[in-house]
Amino acid sequence: MRYLKTSEAAALLNVSPNTLRAWERRFGFPKPQRSPGKHRLFTHGEVAALRDALQEGLSISSAISRAREGLAADANSLVGALASYERERADAAIEAALALRSVERSVEEVLLPTLDEISRRYSVDSAAWAFAAHWAGDWLRRATRLTPPPVRQVSIVFGDASRDELDRDSPYIRALQLFLVRAGVKVLSLSARGVAGIGDAAAVHRPNLVVVAGGHLDDDTVARWAYAIRLAVGAMPLAIYRRGSERPRVRATGTTVLPPGAGEAQRTLLELLESDQAIAAASSAEHRAQIRAARGGR
Amino acid sequence: MPTARIGRPALRLITPLEHEAPAPLVAFCSHCGARPTPPPNVPAATQSRVCASCGLGLILESPADAAPSAGDAFLVLDHSLAVCAVSEAAERLLATSEPDVVNRHVSDLLMAAEAEEKNGAGLSAAVAWAARGDVGTRTAVVRPANTFGIRLTARIASCGPPRAALLVLE
Repeated sequence: MRYLKTSEAAALLNVSPNTLRAWERRFGFPKPQRSPGKHRLFTHGEVAALRDALQEGLSISSAISRAREGLAADANSLVGALASYERERADAAIEAALALRSVERSVEEVLLPTLDEISRRYSVDSAAWAFAAHWAGDWLRRATRLTPPPVRQVSIVFGDASRDELDRDSPYIRALQLFLVRAGVKVLSLSARGVAGIGDAAAVHRPNLVVVAGGHLDDDTVARWAYAIRLAVGAMPLAIYRRGSERPRVRATGTTVLPPGAGEAQRTLLELLESDQAIAAASSAEHRAQIRAARGGR
Repeated sequence: MPTARIGRPALRLITPLEHEAPAPLVAFCSHCGARPTPPPNVPAATQSRVCASCGLGLILESPADAAPSAGDAFLVLDHSLAVCAVSEAAERLLATSEPDVVNRHVSDLLMAAEAEEKNGAGLSAAVAWAARGDVGTRTAVVRPANTFGIRLTARIASCGPPRAALLVLE
């Protein structure tokens, strides 16, 4: 994947960097990612597609619409490959998507919408869904394995409350875990069914946050699992992901309900972790100041 | 009773048609309507198609007698009557925004005015004629699609590249 800085992308499109930023505000395209220093990073594929479309366009909007259509072709070809049970063609389609986008955007814009389309078109009881869900789970696990080791000093424990790999929520949970791992977070995924030995797992992993993900298991089972974690490591922030909004439940104070999109959920979790660390740092600084004041008073 | 006189066909000498020189083409921005001034010493092939003044439109060309001026309300339509560009003034006039209406049919924005246009064919014929690249300017009377009682005269001519119809609301 090749990324371009704002000035490089602007030069490729023969416009000024300010114009490129104006397009981002007005049209939402090309959509940059952010570097660790918060600078815009444009994917070369998107910028090149837009450059070609501008040559044939009558307005910026129509050129952007054409460039978007070209990029959406990847999702259509992946749907076609999975619906016809062709693993090699599906691999090629996701590779083509990765040539134009980052891993996160390929998953969010191609893989997950493809699975949604297959489940909508054929239902989750179909053979097409079984094949597609298995292929997607395999691909997401492989991508997670290929990610470099975590760099942040934070970890998250997932309580997986989905049914199995064929659960509609399962690819979203795997995608969220992949995004977190790629963001440098240590992730441990456990089934929310089992509580035996959970203390050992929590003691080794020492999580900063717990996520309960998936809507298949009932609230009592999930509550037992969350209680076991709390007994092992003490109180800590809890987030809920794709538990469904249709069933009424009483939520404990401090529980965060994550947005359904994997990318948005990842950003919310990272903000939660950062605010939690900031609070911890502030409280320890305050504690140190109190000790210093007490020593000075003596 | 007078009898009708049927004249014999005869050849008449007529003056040859004068060859009209086509109106010169002028460039304008598809969003703000500004007329760009090409920078000196830069070959045309390497100039950017994006408007340097607003950055939100592409530079198109149309005959000088039909081209909009800066601040004019106008639309650019393709041969299938799909909206390709909406100027800033047209966005205000029709209470819409270009990204929302691009690729939609023009009838979502403008209708032929019933009183002046008998069956609405005048507008679509004029747009198809202009999008084909025919020389000349036509007019049609239109109204906003969601509003009655307002009449606007539309000046329709060809523009491009690529070939399309320019509809300037007066």
